[in-house]
Amino acid sequence: MLRILRDLLRYNPEFRIGIVLVGFVLILSVLASFSPYPPDQVYVVPPDVPPSPTYWFGTTSRGQDVFWQLTFAIRNTLLFGGTVALISRVLALVIGLVSGYKGGWIDRVLMSINDTFIVMPLLPILVLFYFVMRDSMSWLILALIMACLGWAYDARLIRSVAMSLKTREFTQSSVFSGMSTREILVQEHLPYVMPIVFSTTMNNMVWSIGLEVTLSVLGFTDINTPTIGGMIYWANQHTAMVAGIWWWIAFPTAIVVMTFIGLFLLAVSMNEYIDPRSRLSRMGGAS
Amino acid sequence: MTASPALPARPDAAAPILAVRDLKAHFRTNHFGVKRYVKAVDGISFDVRRGEIYGLAGESSSGKTTLIKTIAGAIKPPLEVVGGTVDFAFLPGYGGLHRAPPAEVARIRWRHLSYIMQGSMNVLNPVRRLRATFADFARSHIDASDRQFEQAVVDHLARVKLDASVLTAYPHELSGGMRQRATIALATICRPDFIIADEPTTALDVVVQKDVLGMIRGIQREIGSSVLFVTHDMGVHAHLTDRLGIMYAGRLVEEAATAEIFRRPLHPYTRHLISSLPRIGDDIQRKGLEGSPPSLADPPPGCRFHPRCPLAMAACSERVPDMVETEPDHRVACFAVNGDQAP
Amino acid sequence: MNGYLIYIVRRLGQFVLVVFIGINLAYVITHATPIDPVEQSISAATSFGNTAPDAIEQMRTSLRELYGLGGSPVEQYLVFWRRILRADFGPSMSAFPTPVSTLIGRALPWTAGLLMISTIITWVLGNLLGGLAGYYQKSRGLKLMGVIAMGLHPIPYYILALLLLIVFGFLWPVLPIAGGSAMNLPQTWTWDFISSVLMHAILPALSLILIGIGSWFLGMRSLVSNVVTEDYVVYAELGGVDRHRILTSYVMRNALVPQVTGLAISLGGIFNGAVITEKVFGYPGIGSLLVDAVYAGDYGLVLGVTTISIVGVSIGVLAIDLLYPLLDPRVKVR
Repeated sequence: MLRILRDLLRYNPEFRIGIVLVGFVLILSVLASFSPYPPDQVYVVPPDVPPSPTYWFGTTSRGQDVFWQLTFAIRNTLLFGGTVALISRVLALVIGLVSGYKGGWIDRVLMSINDTFIVMPLLPILVLFYFVMRDSMSWLILALIMACLGWAYDARLIRSVAMSLKTREFTQSSVFSGMSTREILVQEHLPYVMPIVFSTTMNNMVWSIGLEVTLSVLGFTDINTPTIGGMIYWANQHTAMVAGIWWWIAFPTAIVVMTFIGLFLLAVSMNEYIDPRSRLSRMGGAS
Repeated sequence: MTASPALPARPDAAAPILAVRDLKAHFRTNHFGVKRYVKAVDGISFDVRRGEIYGLAGESSSGKTTLIKTIAGAIKPPLEVVGGTVDFAFLPGYGGLHRAPPAEVARIRWRHLSYIMQGSMNVLNPVRRLRATFADFARSHIDASDRQFEQAVVDHLARVKLDASVLTAYPHELSGGMRQRATIALATICRPDFIIADEPTTALDVVVQKDVLGMIRGIQREIGSSVLFVTHDMGVHAHLTDRLGIMYAGRLVEEAATAEIFRRPLHPYTRHLISSLPRIGDDIQRKGLEGSPPSLADPPPGCRFHPRCPLAMAACSERVPDMVETEPDHRVACFAVNGDQAP
Repeated sequence: MNGYLIYIVRRLGQFVLVVFIGINLAYVITHATPIDPVEQSISAATSFGNTAPDAIEQMRTSLRELYGLGGSPVEQYLVFWRRILRADFGPSMSAFPTPVSTLIGRALPWTAGLLMISTIITWVLGNLLGGLAGYYQKSRGLKLMGVIAMGLHPIPYYILALLLLIVFGFLWPVLPIAGGSAMNLPQTWTWDFISSVLMHAILPALSLILIGIGSWFLGMRSLVSNVVTEDYVVYAELGGVDRHRILTSYVMRNALVPQVTGLAISLGGIFNGAVITEKVFGYPGIGSLLVDAVYAGDYGLVLGVTTISIVGVSIGVLAIDLLYPLLDPRVKVR
């Protein structure tokens, strides 16, 4: 694993840029722990101050320091994306591996359901969900429901890997040596599937954070937990753009774009690394 | 003598249709810091004469596919031609397709030079009907009306025992054997002077194989093409080719008339290839060769066969043996056969 | 032919399944959650003004009746389905007494038009440029385009729409930034009206195109760089087939096949984007209707739009699936 990281860092510019961007965003999110202001209090600093040495990213019309507010927002946003990715990974792995390995009618049924979730327009469903839940909506509930809706595409990818693994010799010998399906999947196949799981994690985070930003910009989430989308929502509520408080919108936007591009580049470079053709050209020459 | 001497002039024979001289083609890759430099074709010289089927034999990593790719001008990075020339009689003066102007190359392709590729299952565009494929390849070379062209294609298909109805079919609608025959028809529709055939019968079952070989032979005789026929299968060579070159690890090690090679193989590697052929009524335990072909990324010095050679001498690991014409039309590169030519 | 029939039947089955699961999801969300949607919408509808108590009570009874929230769960479920099959979601609460279906019918052409045009432009342009980039890998311009595509692709719809709004709304106000057509024009088929519609569609369409084009570009580029190593392309090159013909009929044509499936798969996501874009640019389509319905607490309208979205996207997917055999003759034997 460390060697992979070293190789990628040394030879893949996309990976380098991705690491720098994601690293920056991560550091920002860690800084939240050192914030002098609690995230949920308003009017702790003078409102509408443009960026200055005192308030690096300026202050909002609600009297919050944009920089420190942003650290909380990005931390929550990343936490949200991570939670969705983690839960949906479990679902995608289980369904993808079982479907690919078992084949037959199990595969057909699982993949029909899978394809259904792939084409389903999720935003209206999430909006309906918010409409029903209203004030009971928390980011954790949203993360849960998005994880339950967002595993399908990756399950298909994992299934195709599992299907190709199934025909390999070592699977057959495991079958003959009396291993159970669960043992084969966990001990033999999981390691081969991990790289693709990693790259889909990045893509899944891009997807879930994108939807979360969208929902919270519209005010369809728990707007009292600071997230990137939530910040933009409040800025819109105070017509920050018209009032010329550009920094209230510009900085969250810049950070979220950095996050997206960073995660995406990581996924792209991982994909290139696990691509069988490029893996082939890396092999053998080690001598 | 230089490492790869020019072949002696042969005033009695007609000029060859293909003359390859000291050809070197290497792969250069650099991926995630792993640099590889593979000398897949490393100084090869030979002639193909008019109207003959020249066989090229060797194991799968002997560089024979790279050699014909280079001859055919299918050179794409990371493959590059490092030196040497490839001269076709119909494309004089350039030293190879890779050096000729694209318009010239486009002119000779299919009209003069065509291919029958390995894996005929996948050489036809899966989303294109055969009629369109035939037009793509041959229409610009045949000066005729559309109807005459269509008739010519239908007539030609009959030579490989295919019905005109295949023209409206997609490749996946044909059986494997039919696809193979369609490919042969496609390769010979313009009556080319030279056909390169790369393992056309590998992966076919024996009956179809025989059928296909007969068909290639028949069409070759009829239109008088020269053929460069590449396969690792010595049985096929014995059956089909007129002359035979043996490749080992990117170099030619022996060349003679096919019958001569089977009768009197000189190079130890050729002997091994021929002795490992099964014969009817022969139940002697065959002794295999020790070791495996070398990696072309890091070949042994001197004669590349020496680590596995039963006749290896001191000189074999130090210098590269030249191809020497030991007898008329029989060339071999081996110190054990030719004696050490070192001063 | 038989294979083709099997294919069509399968696709139709998938269509039914998507609609069935989608609508059941909507049912579960509205009925199985501990929160009562009727109470929710009443509190939302009355939170801004002082509504008389008996008016609220009347509203509650009619809502309960409308949405079949009385009776046993089985009865509720059947009533729910009956309404959906009849496309009858009752009157809108926020635009009383206009029926929800009328509101949706009015908004639908806007969304369908915007989505269709921008999706076609995006798909064609992205695949064309991506295909060229995969084929001419040394071209600097196309390489640069690849970098831009990588930068644009992961940006969420909302952010890009917002950026366009800032640029064209505040910095360089040449295009209309809100609405579907000029307010003062009657909605008849006059040239003024049509050109006004087109002008108003530019920004929303542009944001959808800019966001979507990256993924088609990148996908097609990598597909093409795989296809060019396929035997049939190498063979055509060796055969001296016209370069232009190889690029179009051999490389692009084959690489497009998975991109058509890709279009079907991403239709749902494209619709999500349209919802946001419409809201940002005040476009009078389904997306704006949905968002406004949530703000207004209009239960019937939210449910109606959700249902129609599921059905609409599924129909789009089905249409693409049925066109697919035209592009890939192999479907008949699969």
